This record gives sequence, C-alpha cells and structure tokens, in this order.
Amino acid sequence: MQATKSFEQAFLKQMLLGIQLSAVSHGSGSLQERKSAIKLSADVAMAVARGSKKWTRGLIASLSKEEQNRSFLQFVLGKEFERPAKICHSSWKIPRSKNIVRRSLRFLSKRKSNIRAPNSSVLAGTLVEKRTQVLKRLVPGGQSMDAFSLLDETLDYAACLRAQVDVMQKLMTTLEASKHRADSDAQRPKEKFHLLPMVGSWYSTRKGLRKRLSKRPKLTL
Amino acid sequence: MSSRRSRISEEEINELISKLQSLLPETRRRGAGRASSAKLLQETCNYIRSLRREVDDLSDRLSALMETMDNNSAEAEIVRSLLRS
Repeated sequence: MQATKSFEQAFLKQMLLGIQLSAVSHGSGSLQERKSAIKLSADVAMAVARGSKKWTRGLIASLSKEEQNRSFLQFVLGKEFERPAKICHSSWKIPRSKNIVRRSLRFLSKRKSNIRAPNSSVLAGTLVEKRTQVLKRLVPGGQSMDAFSLLDETLDYAACLRAQVDVMQKLMTTLEASKHRADSDAQRPKEKFHLLPMVGSWYSTRKGLRKRLSKRPKLTL
Repeated sequence: MSSRRSRISEEEINELISKLQSLLPETRRRGAGRASSAKLLQETCNYIRSLRREVDDLSDRLSALMETMDNNSAEAEIVRSLLRS
C-alpha cells in the first residue's frame, strides 16, 4: 500500500471525528461503552482512510450488522450508508447512487462459485486449504473471495492494520505527553496555553465543525 | 488455452506470495529459501491476529487515558498532530 502518509492523515481525521461523536453520545456512559466507541472509530477510520477495497466494504458491512454501530456509521458515511430492509425483494428499488453497504451485504451473502478462478497448484493441499479458510475468516469479506483476491486483499488489509497500530501508538504517546504536561503545569500556577486558540478557530466552533462534517468521505465503488 | 491462463495466474499468485512473505516480520528475517505456502498462510493469520489484538489493546488504553483527560485538550492534541504532519 503506497501513500502511507495520506492514509495516516485520513485515519487521524476520522479518529478525531469518531472521538468527538463518542464523547457526545457516550459522554456519561460506562467505560465499556467508550471503549467500544473508540474501537468502532478506529475501524471505521481505517476503512474510510483506505477507501474502496473488498475488505473495507466487508468491514463496514460486518460492523453495520450490530445495532449499536448503525447511528455512528450513518453519521460518518452519510447518504452512502443505507440499511436495506430486504435484500432479495424485487420491489426494493436500487438507488442510482452507489451504496456501499448494500453491495457489501450482497457481497457477504453471495457464495461465489469460482469457475473463473484457475485451479492453482500452489494453493492445493488440505493443510493449505485449511489455513486459507482461517484467513478467509480473518480478512473482512474474505468468505466470498477467490484465492487471488484473498491474497491481494490480505496484503492490503495487513498493511492497513499495521498503519492503524502505528498511528494509534503515536496518538497514545502524544496524548500521554500532553497529559503529563498538563498535570505538571497544574502543579504551579501559570498562564493558560495560547496554543488552544490557534486550533480553536479551525476546529472548536460549531460552524467549523458542521462545515467539516458536510464534506463526507466518499467510498467510491 | 486454459493451461496458459493458469500459468500466468500462478506467476501472479507467486508474486503475491513473495510480497506477503516480505510483509511478515518473521519470514523476512529468515531470508534464505521460501517458506511453504501452508507455513506462510499460518504466519499471515498469526500476524493479522496479533495486529488486531494490538488495536484492541490500544483502543482500551486510549479510552482509559481519555477518561482522565478533558475532552477538549485530547481533541486539540489530535488536531495539533494533524496540523504538524
């Protein structure tokens, strides 16, 4: 996966959004709720930052299966996120605009028979088949992938996971350092930091927030 | 015809496999020779599992840390990191 830097930036932006939302909705909730919210933010941030891949669609689809995740997904993905009531109903109109969850759910439930995919001798053998099955369960959306796609998506997924871990570790370090500074500053009376107003105008005003949120990320198919 | 197609695809699969091998931390160190496909798949699964565990752990620690910080300074800090990079 190229362009790790832009991925990390996009991921961080989405994490920020997720953290803000979780503070609003779970501010008074249990620690467990906040943990799940952060975890959800991180996964959605990773999928959005990566863009459209089979595994990102698979990930969003599996996340949207859980009730408590839906409002967050709805907010982050906007009109691209729709919960189809019935997948097989012919009366259900497929909107022209691309709907990632619709495709993801179809994608997950489809059992593609891989007549197209060549029978590679590289992946023959029961042990390999067993391990391939395990990998299919680990990679989001893996169940309906052919061998080649599975390997390709696995590479991408693993690289993104790695980047996700790196960014979260850096974030952890930064926040710990900030907290340490704040705690030691609290020891002695001091003037307030002037850095906050600098970022304040970009971020903390409701106008700025709404403006930023109106630019929803697009997972193009 | 079909044999030719599978040959080309086998090359592509081999390329993916060697990319996978260079991605995984352990197999990179070993250097000499190529691990069997089964071994490689196992390493890959282990790697993905350990990365996901790390993310879970980091999420827990992040949420615990943010409990003790006030939200504004946490979010401001993230914005600062964004502006820095």
